[in-house]
Amino acid sequence: MIPDAPYGTLIRTRSLWGNAVRRLWRRLDLRVCLLVIALFTAAALWGEVVYWRYRLRDQTPPYNRVDMSRAYRPPSPWSRPFARAVEALGPRASRFAILRKGIANLFEHPLGTDNLGRDVAQRLIQGARIAFQVGIITSLIAIPIGVILGLIAGYFGGWVDDLIVWIYSTVASMPGLLFILAIAMVAGKGLKGVYLGIGLMTWTGLCRLIRAEVIKHRDRPYVTAARTLGAGPVRIMFRHILPNVFHLVIISFSLRFPSAIGTEVFMSFLGIGVQGEPSWGIMISNARLRLWHGMWWEMTAVTVAVFVVVLAFNLAGDGLRDALDPRLRTGDTP
Amino acid sequence: MGAAVGWIRQAGAGLLTVGAALLVSSCGEKPLPAGTSTERVLFGETERIRSFDPAKAGDVASALAIARIYETLYQYAYLERPYRLEPLLAVAMPTVSEDGLTYTIPLRRGIFFSDDPCFTRTGGKGRELTAEDFVYSIKRIADVKNESSGWWAFQGRIVGLDEFRESTLGEAPSDYDRPVEGLRAPDPWTLQIRLKEPYPQLLWILAMHYAAAVPREAVEYYNGRDGRARFSHHPVGTGPFRLVQWVRNYRIEYERNPMWQETGRVERYPDRGEPGDAEAGLLQAAGRPIPFLDRIVQYVIGDSSTQWLLFLRGRLEQSGIGRDNWDAVIGPERTLTPGLRAKGVRLHATPTLMTTYIGFNMDDPVVGSNKKLRQALHCAFDGKAWSAFYNDRMIPANGPLPPGVAGARGPDEPNPYGFDLEKARRLLAEAGYPNGVDPATGRRLILTVELGAANDPTTRASAELFADFMDRIGVRIENSYNNWPTFLDKMDRRQCQMYRLGWVADYPDAENFLQLFYGPNSSPGPNHSNYTNPEFDRLYEQARTMSDSPERTALYRAMADLVIEECPWICLAYPLAFGLQHGWLLHYKPHDFPYGMSKYYDVDIEARAAWQAREW
Repeated sequence: MIPDAPYGTLIRTRSLWGNAVRRLWRRLDLRVCLLVIALFTAAALWGEVVYWRYRLRDQTPPYNRVDMSRAYRPPSPWSRPFARAVEALGPRASRFAILRKGIANLFEHPLGTDNLGRDVAQRLIQGARIAFQVGIITSLIAIPIGVILGLIAGYFGGWVDDLIVWIYSTVASMPGLLFILAIAMVAGKGLKGVYLGIGLMTWTGLCRLIRAEVIKHRDRPYVTAARTLGAGPVRIMFRHILPNVFHLVIISFSLRFPSAIGTEVFMSFLGIGVQGEPSWGIMISNARLRLWHGMWWEMTAVTVAVFVVVLAFNLAGDGLRDALDPRLRTGDTP
Repeated sequence: MGAAVGWIRQAGAGLLTVGAALLVSSCGEKPLPAGTSTERVLFGETERIRSFDPAKAGDVASALAIARIYETLYQYAYLERPYRLEPLLAVAMPTVSEDGLTYTIPLRRGIFFSDDPCFTRTGGKGRELTAEDFVYSIKRIADVKNESSGWWAFQGRIVGLDEFRESTLGEAPSDYDRPVEGLRAPDPWTLQIRLKEPYPQLLWILAMHYAAAVPREAVEYYNGRDGRARFSHHPVGTGPFRLVQWVRNYRIEYERNPMWQETGRVERYPDRGEPGDAEAGLLQAAGRPIPFLDRIVQYVIGDSSTQWLLFLRGRLEQSGIGRDNWDAVIGPERTLTPGLRAKGVRLHATPTLMTTYIGFNMDDPVVGSNKKLRQALHCAFDGKAWSAFYNDRMIPANGPLPPGVAGARGPDEPNPYGFDLEKARRLLAEAGYPNGVDPATGRRLILTVELGAANDPTTRASAELFADFMDRIGVRIENSYNNWPTFLDKMDRRQCQMYRLGWVADYPDAENFLQLFYGPNSSPGPNHSNYTNPEFDRLYEQARTMSDSPERTALYRAMADLVIEECPWICLAYPLAFGLQHGWLLHYKPHDFPYGMSKYYDVDIEARAAWQAREW
């Protein structure tokens, strides 16, 4: 509660965003989630660097290099790193040398190798790069569509609203995955199809939310005031209303990010996703061939990665919603 | 061979694992109620059957089913290798005129169709087969309205048949009484075929199910109207078995054709085989009347692990070996694991008449005009590693012709452009791409390989393996995955730079492979590499009208060598077919064209019952 302040004293409160960040950080689980997201982002950026480094040098990147003699190696800790060091160096080698070699063996393929002898850890990181790209780029397609249509529909109402509601209801009533596949088929294989497919199909939820929120806002005093001062509809929508509903965009972004990753995995699994680069979906599809023979590491690594990232994004999204909800702002005053 | 490519071909082309799965799908078994019967029944597994109409069916499972009920003029001698034809409904091999254009085929008498209501004139009794039945059956293949998948086999071959096809184009019902000059029956027991040009492969065609004898009464009676079945659902043939019940996509049952006994028709088990057949017990039944089986019942079992478990329980007498259970069944030496061997299970690993390859589009400006580049890429392909990737289920290829057809290279005659990295690098430099770098751009050469079957992880992994082979000499391969129709379409429109495909022989003649390099067969024909070489075309035209002879084999060999030198293909491998049989399946010998061969099989019911009692 705001205490009675002497006339003229400035009450120092935190901004909505500063407060949200503080509230997010206060919870340990969310801190872990943010850390995971940061790690994921770092992996994706690192993957991007590796990708471009080899691309520009015109070399085959190490994560795509085949070595059949190394096919199906289990993760290093399971492949007797120290025993192998002894075998390699002979029984008379010094303990230090054996220790060094053993540790080197331990980090050789920390997550094992796949059916063509490629390092699973490296491919996992490259997969993170694709997943990240898909999350970002599909959001860049879907969010502007959702926001702009939502603003227009909510602000103008009437037949404009009817039209936009009709459009998004129609899109939303189509079976999403099938339609994404259809778009991807038309757009051609590769990531372009994935981006367009997911981007063009997943804006409806956000659009609906924004529209409802804008309807709430459009007759508020601050909007009326802006209108009285002569501001045009575009200015009112984007300068006045949008900042007040923007937290929905942030939340929606954090929640749609993992589902986009999931869809990409699914599409790559079906063979219409990324070509020639490792993605998580392709890795899962690859790993299932020998899974029942006990080659568990590739499948495990990817599914754990997908699980952790999706969980982190979902929890962070939930936390963000709580943090950005003004009704939950309690005990914020200094 | 024209543009019309049958299902059998398409199913084989590109699907690398086709062999084992399809070849063994002919029969199987299931326990009988103990002690109730001594009937010899085979309960087994089949792929989905699409049609019983010989003119329409083009897939392997349907062809196998059709060959149990219908018969052709000639058949493959069951045990003999190399493959040889022998008369089935014909009395003898045909008399061929001097110019090689007229085939006169004498027919056997006393062959009857099985009883069926469609024979209204005889009150439902099966009538005797005549030469007119073959005339009618081949006309049916030509009829546009039948959309036959077998038209490629006859297109442009028989005098007047193409004109007959044109006469069926309109909406009016096709007139089967319209005579075809080159297809006549001078008397009921003689069939005469006149060809436009010599076509010695005709005999192989006459052994395919497309040329099976179909009674006209049945086609006209079973038209799907008035509560009657359609002809594709109601076969009426002369074969060793007849259809009892067909529940689509689930169960199919055949029984011994009683007509054989009624009319006193006797067929006998062959008494000649290749060396080793006698030791394998394949000649034990020599001279005994066939078929041995009283009944064949098959189920469509989609799931491969279900199939495998049923095999282990003794409910199927044959099984393919999937990629998934490979390691559990086959030891490192490609032999059966001791456990299964001790139980009497037998493993057959046989070469199939199939070559898998990566073709270059000779129209492509980069690879088409640069022979050294193609040779370099061929030298960079590591056939042994490739076979190892496929669990050694393939033999590294040393040419376009697989072993078993005339003109093929023996195992001791390596391909001059076989795996040799040094040579590959040298050729690549000579081709103008030292270390794979294109001097024009200063960057590595990038080539695109088109593939069908995008969602198959094995195909994808093998494509990446191929890319790695080429990467070793510095060439970058980009794999472009397509779905199957898009892939075929791209090849037909000559839009591929490189493409990966396989070819399964339609008949065991090198001509069937060499036509893939014949200029006039370029896309949309089967020559998807669009390889044109006047010298090759000359040899091909010379050889294709010749009958089997050492001279023709020499020509085949010369053509194959020409292809090896010019490298329009990187020859990858010759797949092997693997199949498992229980010890109680008797007289089984793997065959590349196993159509109609279930009449030779037999089961030892007691051994089977013993296994089932033990395994349960």
